[in-house]
Amino acid sequence: MALLQLKNLGKDFGRLVAVNRIDLTVEPGEIRGLIGPNGSGKTTIFNLITGFIPPSRGSVFFQGEDITDLPPHAVARRGLARTFQLTTLFKEMTALENVVMACHLHLRVGLWRQFWRTARTRRREKAVEFRAMELLEFMGMAERANELAGELPHGHQCALGISNALATNPKMILLDEPVGGMNPTETAQTMDRIRRLRDLGITVLLVEHDMKAVMSTCDRITCINFGNKIAEGTARDVCSSQDVIEAYLGGTSGVCSL
Amino acid sequence: MIRRILVYIVDNFRWIGWLMILGAVLIVLPYMVRTYQVEVLILLLIDIILVVSFRLITTTGGWSLAHVPMMGCGAYATALLTAGLGVPFWISLPLSGLAAAVMAFILSYPLARTTGFAFFVASFAAGDSLRLCWTRFKTPFGGHKGLTNIPVPEFFSSVDLSAPIPYYYLALVITALCLLIMFRLDRSRIGHTFKAISMNADLSRSLGINVTFYKMLAFTIGSFFAGVAGVLLAHRLWAVVPAQFGFVTTLYLLVWVVFGGTRTFHGPILGVVVLTFLSELLKPLFEWVPMIFGTIIILTLIFFPEGLEGLGHRFTPWLDRQRFAAGDEPRH
Amino acid sequence: MEFLFQTILNGLMTSSFYALIAVGLSLVFGVMHIVNFAHGEFYMLGAYTVWILFAKLQWPFFLAVAAAIVLVGLLGLISERLIFRQAHGQVLSGFIMSVGLVFILQVAVVKIWGLGKMKPVPAAFPEILNLGGVSTSWQRFIVIPVTILLLGALWVFLDRFRIGRALRASALNPDAAALQGISPKKCAAVAMLLGSAMAGAAGALMAPIMSVHPYMGHSVVWTAFVVVIVGGPGNIKGSIYAALLFGFLTTVITTWIDSTVADLVNALVMLFLLALRPEGVMGHD
Repeated sequence: MALLQLKNLGKDFGRLVAVNRIDLTVEPGEIRGLIGPNGSGKTTIFNLITGFIPPSRGSVFFQGEDITDLPPHAVARRGLARTFQLTTLFKEMTALENVVMACHLHLRVGLWRQFWRTARTRRREKAVEFRAMELLEFMGMAERANELAGELPHGHQCALGISNALATNPKMILLDEPVGGMNPTETAQTMDRIRRLRDLGITVLLVEHDMKAVMSTCDRITCINFGNKIAEGTARDVCSSQDVIEAYLGGTSGVCSL
Repeated sequence: MIRRILVYIVDNFRWIGWLMILGAVLIVLPYMVRTYQVEVLILLLIDIILVVSFRLITTTGGWSLAHVPMMGCGAYATALLTAGLGVPFWISLPLSGLAAAVMAFILSYPLARTTGFAFFVASFAAGDSLRLCWTRFKTPFGGHKGLTNIPVPEFFSSVDLSAPIPYYYLALVITALCLLIMFRLDRSRIGHTFKAISMNADLSRSLGINVTFYKMLAFTIGSFFAGVAGVLLAHRLWAVVPAQFGFVTTLYLLVWVVFGGTRTFHGPILGVVVLTFLSELLKPLFEWVPMIFGTIIILTLIFFPEGLEGLGHRFTPWLDRQRFAAGDEPRH
Repeated sequence: MEFLFQTILNGLMTSSFYALIAVGLSLVFGVMHIVNFAHGEFYMLGAYTVWILFAKLQWPFFLAVAAAIVLVGLLGLISERLIFRQAHGQVLSGFIMSVGLVFILQVAVVKIWGLGKMKPVPAAFPEILNLGGVSTSWQRFIVIPVTILLLGALWVFLDRFRIGRALRASALNPDAAALQGISPKKCAAVAMLLGSAMAGAAGALMAPIMSVHPYMGHSVVWTAFVVVIVGGPGNIKGSIYAALLFGFLTTVITTWIDSTVADLVNALVMLFLLALRPEGVMGHD
């Protein structure tokens, strides 16, 4: 069964059609790339899936459940996490505090117990902190755990953003430009970690402009333009698609510099 | 258990020591000053509850202009309960706080969905509609003249709570209790979640935090304590009138809080204490006081936007960072 | 029937007044992101100018109004330079700064002209106007044509001039002004000048009708805020529609019940609309 399924999903902003009618199916364990020229509606699709903006038409299914009208926090609770395009962090907290906050869902202690900080709460908090530290280690940030998030270098901020999303213990994660603004070494490291997410059983849908990174990492790629799907398939299929080439020739650079 | 408590006391000796000194000063203070000044101190304690509960709401990112009307809600509730229905003060105190909280909960439904500009205006409109109700409906609220004959709180018959000094102690105990609870809340996971929301609401949502719920929670809890402050005010002044809870009081509240700063728990307290002291000093110039406050607030925002507490921070960022790094909560 | 016409006439007069106040406020918010609470004090100063020039110095009424528009506009410009520029577009700082300015202006007015009795401003046009059986004084009626004239002039400015277009664009989108090649600072200054001038105009026009005192701006500014919120901040057309809505609502309820209930209903209507559509009711979608 498909993990994530978009049926006929669309969004209009006034008279502007941002996303027309998108059908998309992501299978469990897949790393799916979502590409398209600037302004083609990729981030809007993320916002539609995660409930940040209500769609004008169509529906979103996650694990067979209709999540179209759920608010963002409810979507996150069902195991669908996301990151944001510009590094979005709790800038005045340390890296560790960020991830601890992101583990919010797993504290599973009522408000009353949180207030009194009962022994159980404290035990849970310790466990959460331990888990957060593990996640930071996984993203290669352990030694920076106590630095303020806002003062970290760009690459680490991106990594922290992913750690935050991972902390919600997702079944699937949507990454919005995970390697934007990174140098080639950082990019390679990050893409390597994204591949390792699959080993943890996490399905990935990512938007990225760095074609080399997308082509080398993703199992399948979906290309959209002007809010419409224009191609789907393996890296090779998408590269050879006439529509994709045209879409990108109209834009800034060639797609397939593999 | 006892050992743990002892260890805790030894570990935290420094701030417990300071707290005890502060407590001792506050206990002997009313005997060191004139009767009029005791009255000022009582009002100051009430204002401290007000600013700290206001800060609680601001930690989620919204500056409510309905806070003073919420205090009025508590004051009117206790006036109706004690003077009208003969409910004892000690039962009316939590009940009136609760009345403010319930009112806040209802109003927070539209309010929690707004941000920025809309939140200011909507929260003001919400608070002002309460005040208009008190003005308009003579029964039960007494219209412009408000409600009078609010009884003196009963206590052991030997203590007369109508005198300033005993009432000061009553206010002191209740204030201390309220601050303790709010401090606890501020340092708990709930308090951290509030701050996370104000830092980045979208990220919080994406991490599964129900932002609207937490905003409503903060608004409701903060209004509960505002209501408690209102109870203390009503029983001291023996009367409530709608004009007390008008926008001018809200403006002063904003000035206190901005002057003190909202980052830390003690910031707003510092603000209200310093500015109350200042306005007492400037008593002979009372007509000029709003202008002086206005100037102070503009200069504060331009030259040290973090308020008084920020001044301290400028000199101790390193120290603070170290405490954070040690996994310790910053002490105040 | 007569009653209906009377209500429509009164509603139009109230709406014009609201529109005059709210459009300026909306412009300032849209361009500068300042919730200018001192807008009410600008309105108050407009009324004071007319009191001094028209009632005391016997200037012609419209000359006094024009002077009020210019003077209050300049005051707005000065306050932008000295104070609001420092807010750097942060809504909260801007709002609190304007609160400080409210305190300063109120005390200044009290100190200069005294708190005591109201400042009587005689009607410039005491004649009664008869319109198909309903009547009002010219003084009250005059607010409608003047508002239409001023809003029309504003519209021409925003539509035909380059800086006006930049202003309108940046009210909807802060980055847009830069695209038009006009610095945000200049936009802010012009917005503040126009916004305050309109508040001054409203105060000047209402001076013979309202009671002139240092705190007269208070209730007016809140009604204006309600109008701006419902109209969608920065959306001038929306503000005008909202002014019509609340102008008529206030008139009808004041006629039937009283003005306190009208204020109450206005606040509740706004809260209700916000609960339905938090992003602004007539917001730019």
